[in-house]
Amino acid sequence: MIERHFARLRARDVVDAAEEEAIRSAISEIREYPADLTFIRAGELLHNSTLLLDGFMCRYKDLKSGQRQITELHVAGDFADLHSFTLKRLDHEVMTLTPCRVAIVPHDNLARITEEFPHLTRMYWFMTNVDAAVHREWELSLGRRSAIARLASLFCELHTRLKLVGLAEGSSFALPLTQTDLAECLGLTNVHVNRTLRELREKGLVEFQGGKVTIRNRTELANVGEFDPSYLYLDHRPI
Amino acid sequence: MARYHLHLHNSIGFVRDEEGAEFQDLEEARSSAVDSVRSILCEEVEQGVIDLRGWIDIADPGGDLLASIRFAEAVELRLDGEES
Repeated sequence: MIERHFARLRARDVVDAAEEEAIRSAISEIREYPADLTFIRAGELLHNSTLLLDGFMCRYKDLKSGQRQITELHVAGDFADLHSFTLKRLDHEVMTLTPCRVAIVPHDNLARITEEFPHLTRMYWFMTNVDAAVHREWELSLGRRSAIARLASLFCELHTRLKLVGLAEGSSFALPLTQTDLAECLGLTNVHVNRTLRELREKGLVEFQGGKVTIRNRTELANVGEFDPSYLYLDHRPI
Repeated sequence: MARYHLHLHNSIGFVRDEEGAEFQDLEEARSSAVDSVRSILCEEVEQGVIDLRGWIDIADPGGDLLASIRFAEAVELRLDGEES
């Protein structure tokens, strides 16, 4: 399953055998988490980073009223909290949305990588920069995009990210999230998400049913969402 | 917690909520329906339309209707010529 992590890295730059071995041996254990588990709380002192092997998880922040804003979705192959290596305490929670399989990477082991593998260190720096770019794109969505454009852009983003790690078959991919999860990503209510999904379906752009997304017209979906994948930095070049 | 289905009826037609969502009680489901109406109206206003002819039905998983929220109930409308 860690292959998905390597696929994500290797889409951007070469990872040699020694670097691959350094990553593999940095993992201290594999854990299984159930769905809807907040396994990192804001403010707690962290000693490990979590590499997602399988499933979907998210970063979120919430208000006292219980209203939650998901700030980024993580798919298999992502480090959910590589930034906790330097921050040690996060300003947000991290929660599983589906059952997840994760690899635990102690910060001490990451420290060793930074000392012995400068190129790999730059690659991980790059990856936290990509997370920041995703946050900026979501900020644009939440602040400025219409409901239909928010959803169109999110589906395009997920399609692109999942394809990279071999989890999209042509124009469809499994997305075992609820309407509420989507609403919390998009800053909308469930009813509004439901109505927007119907609009997208009626326009013949995309369908979301039974935990599966099927894109019917990728070009037009990207137009509606003003989706430009350049913020995902997918080009292969030396880092 | 209980599951409620919020079905939308408005100018674009009927949008059935197959999946539903968990709420503490009917009151919380109602308040989510009101938020939804306001959020949909906001977007329509940006396109220059105020259409208050819709409503949201709140049903239990068995399909029994528990409440209806009319769009007009979710906003207070003040018009020119009325006392403020």
